[in-house]
Amino acid sequence: MPAGPLETGARRRLPGNLVAGAAVVLAIALAALVGPWVAPFPYDEFHIRDRLQAPNALYWFGTDEYGRDVFSRVLVGSRLSLLLGVAATAVSLVGGVALGLAAGFFRGRIDEWLMRLMDLLMSFPPVILGLLILAVTPPSLWKTVLAVGIVYIPAIVRVTRSVTLELAQEEFILAARARGESAGYILFREILPNAWPPIIVEASLRVTFAILLGAALSFLGMGAQPPSSDWGLMISEARSYLDQAWWMAVFPGLVMCLTVVGINLLGDGLREWLDPRLRHGGA
Amino acid sequence: MAPPEAPLLEVEDLCVSYATAAGVLRALHGVSFRLAPGEALGLAGESGSGKSTVALALLGLLGPEAALSARRLRFGGRDLLSLSPEEKRRLRGGGMAIVFQDPFTALNPSLPVGRQVAEPMVFHRGLAESEALAAAIGLLHQVGIPRPEVVARSYPHQLSGGMQQRALIATALAAEPELLILDEPTTALDVTIEAQILDLLESLRRMRRLSILFISHNLGVIHRLCDSVCILYAGEVCETGPTKTVFRDPAHPYTRGLLASLPRLAVGDRPRLSPIPGTLPDLLEPPPGCLFHPRCPYGEPRCRRASPLFSSPGPGRAVRCWRAEEIGGVSWEEAVGGARPLAAGGGPAEKAAPPLVVVRDLRKRYRLGGFWDALGWEKPAGRKLPRPSWAPRFLHALDGVSLAIAPGEVLGLVGESGCGKTTLGRTILRLIDPDDGAIAVDGREIARASEREIRPVRRLAQIVFQNPDSSLNPRKTVGEIIGRPLERFGLATGAQARRRVGELLEMVRLTPSYASRYPHQLSGGEKQRVGIARALATSPRFLVCDEAVSALDVSVQAAVLNLLEDLRRELGLAFLFITHDLSVVAHLAHRVLVMYRGGICEEGTIAQVLRPPFHPYTEALLSAVPRIDGGRSRIRLREEGPAAEFAGRGCRFQQRCPRILGEICRTVTPPPLEPAAGHRILCHHRLETLAAVPSPVDEAAPGAPS
Repeated sequence: MPAGPLETGARRRLPGNLVAGAAVVLAIALAALVGPWVAPFPYDEFHIRDRLQAPNALYWFGTDEYGRDVFSRVLVGSRLSLLLGVAATAVSLVGGVALGLAAGFFRGRIDEWLMRLMDLLMSFPPVILGLLILAVTPPSLWKTVLAVGIVYIPAIVRVTRSVTLELAQEEFILAARARGESAGYILFREILPNAWPPIIVEASLRVTFAILLGAALSFLGMGAQPPSSDWGLMISEARSYLDQAWWMAVFPGLVMCLTVVGINLLGDGLREWLDPRLRHGGA
Repeated sequence: MAPPEAPLLEVEDLCVSYATAAGVLRALHGVSFRLAPGEALGLAGESGSGKSTVALALLGLLGPEAALSARRLRFGGRDLLSLSPEEKRRLRGGGMAIVFQDPFTALNPSLPVGRQVAEPMVFHRGLAESEALAAAIGLLHQVGIPRPEVVARSYPHQLSGGMQQRALIATALAAEPELLILDEPTTALDVTIEAQILDLLESLRRMRRLSILFISHNLGVIHRLCDSVCILYAGEVCETGPTKTVFRDPAHPYTRGLLASLPRLAVGDRPRLSPIPGTLPDLLEPPPGCLFHPRCPYGEPRCRRASPLFSSPGPGRAVRCWRAEEIGGVSWEEAVGGARPLAAGGGPAEKAAPPLVVVRDLRKRYRLGGFWDALGWEKPAGRKLPRPSWAPRFLHALDGVSLAIAPGEVLGLVGESGCGKTTLGRTILRLIDPDDGAIAVDGREIARASEREIRPVRRLAQIVFQNPDSSLNPRKTVGEIIGRPLERFGLATGAQARRRVGELLEMVRLTPSYASRYPHQLSGGEKQRVGIARALATSPRFLVCDEAVSALDVSVQAAVLNLLEDLRRELGLAFLFITHDLSVVAHLAHRVLVMYRGGICEEGTIAQVLRPPFHPYTEALLSAVPRIDGGRSRIRLREEGPAAEFAGRGCRFQQRCPRILGEICRTVTPPPLEPAAGHRILCHHRLETLAAVPSPVDEAAPGAPS
């Protein structure tokens, strides 16, 4: 490699996708935060005379079968959906990263048992597994978060384990063992910082999956409960009116798409930005 | 020396540049050479010199972002610059074929070898599948593969590295090319295998009148195979000419520097190496004038101003240097500041001192395959039905190894890949747990000790790794990397630690400002120095160097070898120096162990091991080393299969030994012969027979640097 000029002092330029993704996610997070106060109508206020109105100057996204303002409901609903996506992913991350690091680093029997357990979890379709976890007790939000989080643990475990397996072969890990470092130090200080990029990308993908799965569970009546507004629940309720009131399903769906795309952009951008090799731009 | 006939390949003023985000990168500039039919031309240079780019440019395999121009680029009378993509595709493999460096990735793992050799014949020569397969078997036979019918049906992973490289050469020859381009074809192979591949290339060249363009960083290999050589530096040719003359009497300062950096395989006085200072120029902004002037000890103001033209110091030679004629009498060593002999004060500590590291009868075995592979059927006598059995097979990586290292001593450990030398180094540091045996470091027994009990030893015994890219955590700064051992062992904190990191960086000849850099901002040699500084941080007394200089370019390698030697002398360090490179061992080590399949077959001081009597394996290793000074008759070892095992009886070297005596070698463990105090050879031959062997190693004339 020709020795390029060292760009130690160079200003870090933010990747474009990071900026775009962060903008979208921030906007939605802001909506979630201040939604109830800026919404034109309370999300659960009935306007019986204005049932099933198409989008107009008063009701920007139209109204539903009870005459509730869809725009207000979408705005307020972002709170639940985002909370569910992020919290569930946090659950998967905490569980998945720890298990993946252990499986990849200790190998042998621990690895074998953990991975077979993950295979078991993965053999259930996500929705069924979510239902299984939720069905035994009365539904509530934190249980949905936990269920969705557990469903996506195997994906995080597999990614973490494969990076860990690779990194554990590196000579700097041997160097750490030659200093007699503890397993904890090696896992969390030597391996994890290098394992982050693929995990973050995977996790950002999982946030979107979690939002979708949460929506699906709400759709099936196991997640958010009426009358609270959740995008999945809204689409579920809109199903019976699809032929008369497309806006009831389309707007929550669109916002969900936007969130998913934004979070994915943010994940990609983060990966580029966090990697020191890419950050300093070698030729 | 005008070529007697029209050249097969003519390259004139070849330039390749890449447009990058940071500007235009000048990869090749004004490269010219010609190659006659049946000639072998070596393209030599360090990494980044543009050697491989030349090959890719000839084959038309440069990426779309590369801009290529040339005054002349002709092959067999055809202008390569005006060919259509389809004609180029026909030419690749048909007229010229390439063999890449790594046989392990160049063959498709999911196709039988025979199919891969036959494929070009179907494409280029229009043969039918069955004809091509028959021809492929013939070709495999020609490249020296035993039982070609069987090999043709095998998959690449079933062949050893040497066999894979042979199969790859067969693939390249399948379409009967006139020019064979080889890009570092032997770099991934052991010396004994490398010697065989070079033999094969030489005979192919004679038999088929094949022209060879041989790309390598290894000057010894080029000297062995090539008629002429072309030395590249930073994308420019700096010297060309007949190999023998160029290496005997190099005209360009860079060529001289390269040769002075090479450790020599010789007994006797070991002159300090004289590496080339500095690093390769930035090809985005090449320096004005001569590209080499920033590193040249012969430089004068003129070199900075204008790029030198070629002049000819002799028949068939050309050199790009303003001062080529004036500097003839001044050797590189004199120019860079004089060669200091290594001998003074060099030896290990007094004999009376107890050894620092003692290893006794160390054993480690690995189960081959998984649980299910060991499962089989056995049919005991007297029973009708066979019954299941579980009999795993083992690889004995360490099979009773003993050694001792005195304070301040360098113990060399040589052997081919897979002989267990890395396992030994790591087991001594308890990075691998031994199955049996004893390890004592500074009087402390650690073979079975707990991690807590080993901790004081971890401070005393450290390790330097082979691969500079893998040995430093890419997420940490150099300061954090070197500072961690200080923190870990509570040696220094805060400002004191920062000062100590600076001292350590200076100790490995870097400046303290490196502390804030990340590994990817360093060159290979700098990374290796940081790796050494990290190992030195705890003030150890013993270092294991596992192929610590093998991945480095010669000039960088020389600098690191000098550094290690200086550190040994300043700090009284003891080394276990693991390497496959006998020249490096001859240069640095006081004593040597020769290892074969988990056991030691010869040990002694460097002078004892490099002079007869030899163990037959040592003799074969020594004679296989390609060198730039003289060539001796060579011993060829048979190649072993990829999973050859030592049955545990007789001599470990029996299957490949060229001097095998017969039954006794297969059944009886050879006794140790002791020709001199401290020199042991495990062999059934009589000492007199082993001593009567002519030595493949030169005696260094005292005081003469080369």
